[in-house]
Amino acid sequence: MIEIHNLRKEFALSKQQRKELNTSESIATAVDDISFSCKPGRVFSLLGPNGAGKTTTLRMISTIFKPTSGSIKIAGVDAVTHPREAREKIGFLTGSTGLYARLTPNELIKYFADLYKIPKKEFEERKDYLYTLLDMNHFQGKRIGKLSTGMKQKVSICRTMIHDPEVVVFDEPTSGLDVITAENIIELIKNCKNEGKTVIFSSHIMSEVNLLCDDLAIMHQGKMLYNGEMSTFKSEMKSANLTEEFIRIVKSSNAVEA
Amino acid sequence: MIFTIFKKELKDTLRDKRTLMMMLVIPILIFPIILNVFVSISSSFSEDAATKEINIGFVGTPDNYLLKQIESIPENLGEKKIIIYSDSSALKRDVKSDSLQVGMFTSVSFNDNLTQKKPAEVIVYHNVTSVGMEQRGRVYVDIVKDIALQERYLDMDLKESELTPIVSEYSNVASNKEMIGKLAGGILPYIFIAFGFLGCMYPAIDLFTGEKERGTIETLLTTPVARWQILFGKMGVVVSSGLLAASAALFGLFLSIEVLDIVENEELLSVIHGILNLKFVLLMFGLLFPLTVFFAGIMIPVAVYAKSFKEAQSIITPINLVVVLPAMVGFFPGIELTPLTASIPVVNIVLATKELIAGTLEFWLLGISFAVMIAIAVIAVFISFKRFDKESNIVI
Repeated sequence: MIEIHNLRKEFALSKQQRKELNTSESIATAVDDISFSCKPGRVFSLLGPNGAGKTTTLRMISTIFKPTSGSIKIAGVDAVTHPREAREKIGFLTGSTGLYARLTPNELIKYFADLYKIPKKEFEERKDYLYTLLDMNHFQGKRIGKLSTGMKQKVSICRTMIHDPEVVVFDEPTSGLDVITAENIIELIKNCKNEGKTVIFSSHIMSEVNLLCDDLAIMHQGKMLYNGEMSTFKSEMKSANLTEEFIRIVKSSNAVEA
Repeated sequence: MIFTIFKKELKDTLRDKRTLMMMLVIPILIFPIILNVFVSISSSFSEDAATKEINIGFVGTPDNYLLKQIESIPENLGEKKIIIYSDSSALKRDVKSDSLQVGMFTSVSFNDNLTQKKPAEVIVYHNVTSVGMEQRGRVYVDIVKDIALQERYLDMDLKESELTPIVSEYSNVASNKEMIGKLAGGILPYIFIAFGFLGCMYPAIDLFTGEKERGTIETLLTTPVARWQILFGKMGVVVSSGLLAASAALFGLFLSIEVLDIVENEELLSVIHGILNLKFVLLMFGLLFPLTVFFAGIMIPVAVYAKSFKEAQSIITPINLVVVLPAMVGFFPGIELTPLTASIPVVNIVLATKELIAGTLEFWLLGISFAVMIAIAVIAVFISFKRFDKESNIVI
C-alpha cells in the first residue's frame, strides 16, 4: 500500500538553471500538493507529459528525494521520517537503470541481497526462483558488460525483486527498450499484481497503461489532473481513445492556466 | 554495510583496466624507468665529458709555454686536438658554435711575464651548455699552473711548505644518508604523493560520477543503506587505491634496487637499503594515509558534483597541480621541517619524509604534521559528506 497526502517538492534554482528556464523565480515547484493511494494487488499508473513531475514523485516514494511537505506511507511505514525502513519494502526500477558492467549477475545479485540483509537460505531460495523464472542460469557467471540488452534487463528485474518487496516502483520501465525486452517488464508487472504486491509505474505509452493498470493518475506541471479507477476513466472518456483523452485533459489544463 | 560496499567497489575497481594502469602498472614501472634513464644518462655524460676527444682552440705564439705544456699532457686525461687561431673573435665564435669545446687566449707577453716572474694571464672560453667542458679546460690549465709553480719554487730556491703558512682542510661530518636525504630525499615523497593522488583520481571519478553516468546510483540509494555508509564504503576504496598506487611505487623502487640492479653506486645503494626498512615504510604510510584521505575528500565533492566523467576529469586535473605542486618544495635543499612548515599540508609530508630519510626527523614536528593532516582530512571528509547528501548532486 502506498498512501500519499499533500505531497509537495520544491527545488532551489541555481543562477544557471534560472537562465536556462528563463525565469526569475528562485524556487521551482516540481510536485504541487498531490494526494493518491495505491492498493496491494492493483497496478497504479502515473501518466503525464515530460516535466509533469512523475519521476520526482516516484523518487520521493523511493526516498531518493525528501519531500518539501506532505506525507508518504509505504506499507504502513512513514517514508519521510523512517526512509531506511521504507526502502526495505520497495523495489525500484527505471528504464535507464544501469548495472555494474564489471560484475557478473551472480555478484550483483549477491551484493544487493547483502545490502537488503537477506539471510543466506532465503537468498538462495529467492535467487533460484528468480533465475528459473527469468531464465538466467546460462549467463549468471558472465560479466554484465558482455550481456545483451535483454539479459541485462533480466538482471535488473532480478535485482529489483531479490528482496521480495511489498511495493514495486517502475519509472518509465520500458523506455528505450525494444519490444521483446519490454515484454519482460510487462510480464514482471503482471506477476507482481498476481502476487498481491502494490505496483506504481509511470509511463506515457498508452497501450501499456491500457494493458496493465487498474488505477491511474494524470499529472501535469506538478499538479494532479485526474485520479481514479481505469474503468471509470474509460467510461467517462470524451475522446475516441486513451491517447486522445490524455491529450485533451492536458490541453484543457493548459487552457485553464492561460 | 560499509564493508559490503567497500568489498564490491574494490572488486569493481580492480577489474577496471584504466584504473589498474594508473594504480599499479605505471607506479611499479616509474622507478625502474626513472632510475634507468637517470643512471645511464648521468654516467654517459660524465664519462663522455671526461674522456671524449675535444678540440682546443689556442691564440698565442707557437712557442707559448702553456701551449707546449698542454701538448705534452698525456692522452689518458682525454684525447685532444689543438687548433691555432690568430684572433680571439674567431675563437669565441667557434666555442659558441661548439666546433671548439675549449678556447684559450694568451697575450704575446705570456712567455715574457713568466720569465720575469710576473703573472701570465690566460682567458679560457667555454660554453656552459657543453656539459663538462669547463672542467676539462680547468684540468689542463691547473696542470700547467702547477708545473710552472714548481719551476718557480726551484728557480727561487723556495720550498712550497714555507710559502703555505696555513693549511686548511674541510671535512664533511654529515653521513651519506643525511646528505642524500637532505639533497635528494624530496624526490621520493614527491613520487609517492603524485601517485597517491593519481591512484585516488580514477576510482573517485568512476565510483561517484561514473555511477551517476551509468544510472546505478539511483538503485543504490533505494536500498536500506544510509548515505554516509555508501560514502564511506566508496571512500575506503578511493583511499585504498591511493595507498596501493604509492605502495606500487615503493615496490617499483625495491624492484629497481634488489632485482634489476639498476643503481651501482655503493654509497647510494647503502642509503636506499637503509630507507627500505619496516620502520620507514610504516612511518611513510602513516603520513600517506591522512594525505590520501584528504585527496579523496577533495576529489569526491568534485566527482559528486560533475555530471560526466569528462567534466570530473577536467576539474580534478588542475587540482592535481595545486595539490601536488607544493610537494616540489622537497627538491630545494635548505627548506626544513619547522613548526611553520609542519603546519602546511603536503609540504609537511614531503619535508617529514626527507628528514626521515636523512635520519634527522624530530618526532614532535612529525606529530604536528600528522595532526594537521588528520584535521584537513576530517574537514575534507565532512565536505564530501555534505555534498553527497545533497539531492541535486547525486541524481542527474
